[in-house]
Amino acid sequence: MNNKSNSSKEKLRTGFNSDTVVGHVFAAPFIFGFVCFSLIPICMSLYYSFTDYSLGNKQAVFVGLKNFATLFKDEVFAKSIMITLKYVLMSVPMKLAFALLVAFVLTRKSKMVTLYRSLYYVPSLVGGSVAVALVWKQLFARKGLFNTLFTSIGLGRVNWFGDEKLAIYPLMLMAVWQFGSSMIIFAAGLKEIPTTYYEAAEIDGANGFQRFFKITMPCLSPIILYNLVMQTISAFMTFTQAFVITAGGPNNGTMLYALNVYNQAFKYNKMGYACAMSWVMLVVMSLITLAIFKSSKFWVFSESES
Amino acid sequence: MRRKVLSSILAAILVASSLMGCGASADTAADTNATQSQQTDSTTAATDNDEMKNTSGDEEVTLRMAWWGSQDRHDKTIAAIELYESINPNIHFEYEYYSFDDYFTKLKTLVASDEVWDVFQLGGNFPQYMDKIYPLDEYISSGVIDLSGISEANLKTTQTKDGVQLGITNGINTYGIAYDPAMFEEAGAKLPTDDWTWDDYKEAADLITDKLGIFGSSTFVTSDAIAGLSTYVGQQGELGQYSFYNLDLTGMGFDDPKMLEPFIQMRADMIKKGSYPDAGASAEVTNIENDFLVTGEAAMTWVAVNQFPTIYDACKEQGRTLALATIPRVKKDGNSGAHIQSSQMFCVSQDSENKKAAAEFIAWFETNIACNNILQAERGIPANEDVRAALSANAGEGQQIMYDYVDKVSNFPTPKEINVLSPDGHDQVVDNYLNYIQQVASGEITAAEAAEKTYADAEAIFK
Repeated sequence: MNNKSNSSKEKLRTGFNSDTVVGHVFAAPFIFGFVCFSLIPICMSLYYSFTDYSLGNKQAVFVGLKNFATLFKDEVFAKSIMITLKYVLMSVPMKLAFALLVAFVLTRKSKMVTLYRSLYYVPSLVGGSVAVALVWKQLFARKGLFNTLFTSIGLGRVNWFGDEKLAIYPLMLMAVWQFGSSMIIFAAGLKEIPTTYYEAAEIDGANGFQRFFKITMPCLSPIILYNLVMQTISAFMTFTQAFVITAGGPNNGTMLYALNVYNQAFKYNKMGYACAMSWVMLVVMSLITLAIFKSSKFWVFSESES
Repeated sequence: MRRKVLSSILAAILVASSLMGCGASADTAADTNATQSQQTDSTTAATDNDEMKNTSGDEEVTLRMAWWGSQDRHDKTIAAIELYESINPNIHFEYEYYSFDDYFTKLKTLVASDEVWDVFQLGGNFPQYMDKIYPLDEYISSGVIDLSGISEANLKTTQTKDGVQLGITNGINTYGIAYDPAMFEEAGAKLPTDDWTWDDYKEAADLITDKLGIFGSSTFVTSDAIAGLSTYVGQQGELGQYSFYNLDLTGMGFDDPKMLEPFIQMRADMIKKGSYPDAGASAEVTNIENDFLVTGEAAMTWVAVNQFPTIYDACKEQGRTLALATIPRVKKDGNSGAHIQSSQMFCVSQDSENKKAAAEFIAWFETNIACNNILQAERGIPANEDVRAALSANAGEGQQIMYDYVDKVSNFPTPKEINVLSPDGHDQVVDNYLNYIQQVASGEITAAEAAEKTYADAEAIFK
C-alpha cells in the first residue's frame, strides 16, 4: 500500500518534471482562453451564419446559404464594402508614410528624442477610445474648431459630416493620427540598419534622397511588410470612429464594414446574417493579406539572397 | 534574414489574432464607459410613508433596474429609488441608465444571456421582447399590487390584445411640436394653429430660415418615421382608414406607396433649403436637452410631450418662452393623426428572481403620490387619477402647457382602434428611410422611388 502510493508520487514527480507537461501547464491559461473566448465563438458564428438566429427570439433555424445569397442583393452591404476598401486603401498608406516620416526624424541623436517618441505615441494609447472620437466629432462639427478656423481666415464652412463624400476623411485622419505603434516599430527597424552603409554611400557621393531610397527603404522593407499587414487588418476592423462620430451616415457614407455587422447583429436583431457577413469579411481579409505576402517577394529585401 | 522575415510574419499573425481579441474587449470597455452605471447606497430622505411598506418581509432583496432618458429623468428616478429604499430598508437597487439607443443595445445582449434586469422600461417596440416580459395579472388578482386608481382605458394601453397586463404605463403621452413664438414673429411667419397643415409647417420653416439664418425646424431624428411619416399616412383618407402597419402587426396598413411621396419630397426639399438639419447636423443632436431649439439654432422641434417641460425650463433660463403646437395635418379639415398613448411602461422580467418585489416596486412607482412628486410627470402624464390630480394642482408653467395640450388632443376625434406598436425589423426600415431622404435631397433618386423603396422595406418585414 505504502509502496504503491510512493511509486505513484514518484510518477507524478517525474511527470511534472518532463518538459512537455510543464509546457502545457504554463500554456493552459492561454489555451483555456483561446478555446473558450475565440475558438468556440468562432465555430458558433460559423454555425449561426447558416441560420436565421436573432438575439430577440433566440431561435436558430437552419436556412442554408440564404444569408450569403441575401448579402449580394443588399445595397448597404455593397456600399459598406466599397467604403471600407476606400478607407483601408487610403488610411493605411497615409498612416505608414506618416509613421515612417516621424520615426525617421526621431532617429537623430539628441537627448529629447525619447521624450518626443513618447509624446508621439500618446495618441495611439488613447486613440481608439470613445472619448477621443467624441472630441473628433466636436472638432469637425458645423461650429467646431476647424470650421471656426476656416471662417476666421475667410474661407467658407465645410459641412464635414453632412456631405456623403467628405464624411469619411475625418475618420481617416483620426486613423492616421494614431500612427504611434507603427512609428515605434519603424524606429526600432531604423536603428538596426548599420551606419557603415550610410558612411559608404556618403563617400560615394549619394545625397539624402538616394540614401533614403537605396539604403533605408530596402533595409526597412521587412518591417514595412509587418506594419502593412498589421495596419491593414486593424483598418478593416475599424469600428469606434464610425459608430461614435457618424453612426454610419450620411446616407451610409461612413458605413464601415464592422459597423454594418454590428448594426445587423445588435440593432436589427439579425445575428445570423451578421455572422455570415463576418465570415465574408474573414475571407476578404485573408485574400488581401495573402496578396500582400505573395507580392512581398518583389519588394521585400532580404540580405541572405543578395 | 529570411528566418527573421518568417518569424516576423509568425509574430504578425499571432499579434493579429490577439488584436482581434483586443478589438472585442475595447468594445465592451466602451460599453461600460457609456453605461454610467452606478451602485446605489440607501439611506436618504426619511418619509412618513410607512403604510407603503413592502410586504415581502425583512428578507434582503436586490433589484436590478434600468431605464433610458435624459439627465433630468435620471436624477428624478434615482431620487425616487432612494425614497423607496428608505421606506423599505430590505430592498436594495442596482440601477443603470442609458440613452435610448444604448439602452436597447444593452437590453438585447441581456435578452441573449437571459439576464434581463428585474425592472425594465419598454416602449412601443415591446412586441420584440414579449418572451422576456413577466405578466402582472397574478399579482393584480391576488391583491399584491393595487391598481384601482388607474382607469381601465389607461391600463389597456399596456395590455396585449387578449388583456394580459404586460406592465404598468409610466405615463400618458402624445406627440407635438414645440416652438419659439418670438422667432416666428421675428421672421414674420404665421404662428401654428390647431389645424395647421404640413404646407404651413414647411412655409413657416423656410421663411424662418430665409429671415433668421437658422433651421426652421429641428430634426425629428429617427422619430421622423413615426411622428412624421406614419402619422402622415393616418391623416389621409377616412378616420382610421389607413395606418402605417396594420392593427395586428401582420402587414401594411395601406396599399399605395404614393401616399408617402409628398412627405418625403417635403423633407428632401427642406434639407436642400437648409430649413431642416441634414444627416451631419442631425447627428449632433444626441438628446432633447441639446436639441437645436434649445440651443437657439431652430425655431421648432418635434417632442413627445413629456419632454416639453424639460426644454421649456431650459429655454426659460435663457429668457425664451416656448409653446406647444399640434402635429401638422395633411388637410385643414382632415384627420389629426394624433393619438394618446402610453409613453413607456415598466415591466417585470422573466429572468427575475424577485418578481413579486419588482411588481410591488412598479405599482408603488406608478401610484404613490410622494414618489410622483419627485418624478414630476417627466415620463408622461400619470395614469393614476389621484396622482395626476395631486401633480396638476401645483404644476409648473411648462407642465401646465403639457396637461392642457394632452387634454386638447384627447378631444380630437380618434379611430376606435389604433396601433402604435412597431414590429421587429422596424429599426432597419427607419434607417433606410432616412437614407432615402438623403438620396432624394442629393438627387440620386426621386421621391417616388424613395416612397416605393420604403414601402418595400416595410413590407419585407412580414415575408
